[in-house]
Amino acid sequence: MNAVESKTKFVSTDRRVREDRRFVVGRGRYVADIDLPGMLHVALVAAQHPAARIVSIDASRALALPGVHKVLTGAELVEAVNPLMNGLETPQVRRFPLAVGQVRYAGEWVAAVVADTRALAEDAAERVKVEYEKLGFVIDAEEAYTPQSTPVHPEHGSNVLLDKTFVWGEVERHFAEADQQLSFRVVWGRNSTVPIETFGVVASWDPWQEVLDVWASIQMPKYSDQIARSLRLPGNSIRVHQDVDVGGSYGVKRGIKHSVLVGHLARALGRPVRLIEDRLENMRAGDAHGPERIFDVDVAFNADGIVRSMKMRALDNVGAYAGRAPFQLGKPIGAIVGPYKIESVQYQAISVTTNKTVQEAVRGFGQAPTNYAIETAIDRVAETLGLDRIEIRRRNFIRHDEFPYLIPSGSTYDSGDYHTVVDKVLAHAGYDDLVAERDRLRAEGMLAGIGIAACLEPSGGNSSFEPLLNDKNTTSTWMDSCRIMVDALGTVTATVHTTSSGQGHETLVATVVGEVLQIDPDLIRIVRPDTLSSLPSNSPVGSRMAIMLGGAAFKAAEKVKAKMVAIAAHAMGVPIETANYVDGTVRTADGREMAWEAIVNMAHRQFHALPEGMDPGLASDHIMQVPTGVQLPKDDKVQMYPCHSFEFHLILVAIDPLLGKPEIRRYVIGHDCGTVINPHIVRGMTLGGIAHGLGAALLEEFAYDAEGQLLTQSFMDYLLPSSHEVPDVEIVHHCTPSPLTVLGQKGSGESGYLGSPAAISGAINDAVRPLGIHFTRLPMRISAISDAIAEAGPTMTQEEI
Amino acid sequence: MKLDLSGKEVINTSPERLWEALNSPDVLTRCIPGCKSMTETAPDHYDVLMELKVAAVGGTFEGKVALTEKQPPSTCNITVSGEGSLGNGTGKASFTITPEPDGASLLTYEGEGEIGGLVAGVGQRILKSVSKHLTGQFFKALRKECEASEAERKAG
Repeated sequence: MNAVESKTKFVSTDRRVREDRRFVVGRGRYVADIDLPGMLHVALVAAQHPAARIVSIDASRALALPGVHKVLTGAELVEAVNPLMNGLETPQVRRFPLAVGQVRYAGEWVAAVVADTRALAEDAAERVKVEYEKLGFVIDAEEAYTPQSTPVHPEHGSNVLLDKTFVWGEVERHFAEADQQLSFRVVWGRNSTVPIETFGVVASWDPWQEVLDVWASIQMPKYSDQIARSLRLPGNSIRVHQDVDVGGSYGVKRGIKHSVLVGHLARALGRPVRLIEDRLENMRAGDAHGPERIFDVDVAFNADGIVRSMKMRALDNVGAYAGRAPFQLGKPIGAIVGPYKIESVQYQAISVTTNKTVQEAVRGFGQAPTNYAIETAIDRVAETLGLDRIEIRRRNFIRHDEFPYLIPSGSTYDSGDYHTVVDKVLAHAGYDDLVAERDRLRAEGMLAGIGIAACLEPSGGNSSFEPLLNDKNTTSTWMDSCRIMVDALGTVTATVHTTSSGQGHETLVATVVGEVLQIDPDLIRIVRPDTLSSLPSNSPVGSRMAIMLGGAAFKAAEKVKAKMVAIAAHAMGVPIETANYVDGTVRTADGREMAWEAIVNMAHRQFHALPEGMDPGLASDHIMQVPTGVQLPKDDKVQMYPCHSFEFHLILVAIDPLLGKPEIRRYVIGHDCGTVINPHIVRGMTLGGIAHGLGAALLEEFAYDAEGQLLTQSFMDYLLPSSHEVPDVEIVHHCTPSPLTVLGQKGSGESGYLGSPAAISGAINDAVRPLGIHFTRLPMRISAISDAIAEAGPTMTQEEI
Repeated sequence: MKLDLSGKEVINTSPERLWEALNSPDVLTRCIPGCKSMTETAPDHYDVLMELKVAAVGGTFEGKVALTEKQPPSTCNITVSGEGSLGNGTGKASFTITPEPDGASLLTYEGEGEIGGLVAGVGQRILKSVSKHLTGQFFKALRKECEASEAERKAG
């Protein structure tokens, strides 16, 4: 317990998550619940080849069906819309909602069929005849990186979108000085978050107001701006309704191509239009796959286990179009040394296009793969030196008294107490007992291993990776906002200016505003105005909302409180400094008081009684800048996210050598995200994140065959963790407040996921270490594990195991 | 995804008659599973229309079949390409017919197919067994055709 927590009334207390009520009784309002009169439905015609020229599209048989209104092709659409936004300066990598002239991945949308019902649209889509001429293609990232590979976008000239090498500190000197070096390659497979609700969007155009109304299952920064730019409309002609519940996102609900397509169709047809992906459309062409990354890592270290320097080459396969995905190589720069005091780093970030589905942001924005590579490095150093894997982490950790701590790539970590978290986890888990249990399992003939991962969750997203990777980008703010209105009857309403995909923003804002105003959070109404009525927001990305929305709500509430104190002090004739605000009532030193209702009434009705120069009414707003985010990059360095949560995973895995199926016997995580605003939300995030990481480590992969076909398009083949695989998780809480935030809070929206793949990989590698095997690729499928075990030990005896 | 299409079958008919059957659009239409029609567009070139179902995916496929490098009655190359809304496929195979004792023939075929689109994506886990099944159906039907005409010939 820290000072802030101990004196809070509502923050950190065991309060119900207010959103839960409507979800539990089935009264969430999702995009599929938006049913407008005269609404039409869209189904897509999907490309069958990874690369092919579109020779012709014959829609006549589709249009012949009664109830089919339109078959839109890329050739027609391209005349009416601007290309979708690219993050990097790659103007020749042009992307439209439908393929134009050429398809670049199997599944890409070739035409959109609009009909009275979705079923009819699907039937009609099967009647659209597309003639293709197959072209050369590239699937493998290393091959795409070579100059002779077939470019996915011939106009761009190559498949390389980004190839930048950063050198932070004296890498070569540290490598020369270090006692030893080692090198390895690990591969993070292409997975994603696949929420059960696929992406959906409804758009309706009102020609008399010249407004496009949009309802979408969206988690996208600058969403309405992007729609406006692409549809060539003024920004204030796009009205996104943000009170739509989003059925899960974790980063990927970025359906900009869907939204531009549907917006265009709604305008062109003069009818509301809806597109809700089915599972196949979502998996193969939702443009929502996650990073797919090859890491080549060299580390230089001393005999005592101190890691001096690291060279990392990260080659990421973004798929067929650029989008925002290459930035997922940039965000991890803000925690490129993890929780360790590595003095210097060389980092080569390479992003290539291939003929695979487009990549989008996934929970952690590239950090989980990078953490997997860093933690593998630490495990390998321990293995090489014969040191304990926890001891080597302790030796390399930044110490509690060394914060704020500047890492080589330019970010300053705000706070942390890694050694204490580790101590608490080991004490909770009974580490010696855990080791004894592993050894007992081994003696029984099982393969058993302990997995350890220590990693950071950079939070408070500021988008500094944009100017760092793109010289022409000068983004130095990524604000978020809150408005508070106290009505004439004295009730309080606060605003959230973005959609929510389950992060509990309403609970967050109500708790924080209630805390500042010392009123019951359950009495505060939280609304989500549409974008035309909103203050600027950058949506819930980058593990930022506790910090940014929580911060904005806190500051806005402080303004309301300050005004109430000023009104009451003036009315009671005392100096402001002597007036005391307690539970909504203002008291003077001599025992008089003015109650909430009286102050509110005065603000709303009695201008004559207000202090001179004060505006009437009682409302405030706050647009919050990200803490620390003021500078553009200099010398290839920048302050990335302001706050750094810490997690330490300790797990025990057992594998029956004949089956090869890993079973997690114990899962303990130490978690420090500073001040927790609502414990249930943080717990839910952490548990969900661990389950997600388990999927990435063992099950989930968008696998392609050598011919460029996606083989895992449904949940028959793309395996998600279920209650059979996800273990009970024990969370050990610790709180090191951030000095940069209003309540000491840090982010937790990506917790669990950022370290669990590394921990599971570490445990399985510990289990098979006696066989001389290293698993270096995620997911580690049961088949790969059992094959490797069988190959390593056909004559294995129990003693040898 | 790629599929291996090789095997051998003994058919109770002479190499000449087997050759004839394999070159007859009518016989092939009856024998190829799901084949609705086969229309000759040029000598040894046909348009075919097929209806097939693989796993949850079913649909109509339009394709082309060409017979090349024919050496009656022993060898022939066949190329097949088909495309429908739900998938596409191409295949190349070579047939060799050799005489067997008792007037029978041995048909050896060796080839490779490639399947794309939804059929590959959704049906890949069962495509191998499906292709085996379809091949089996084809030969069962072919054998029936040949043996029936053989019996007819003997009776006549």
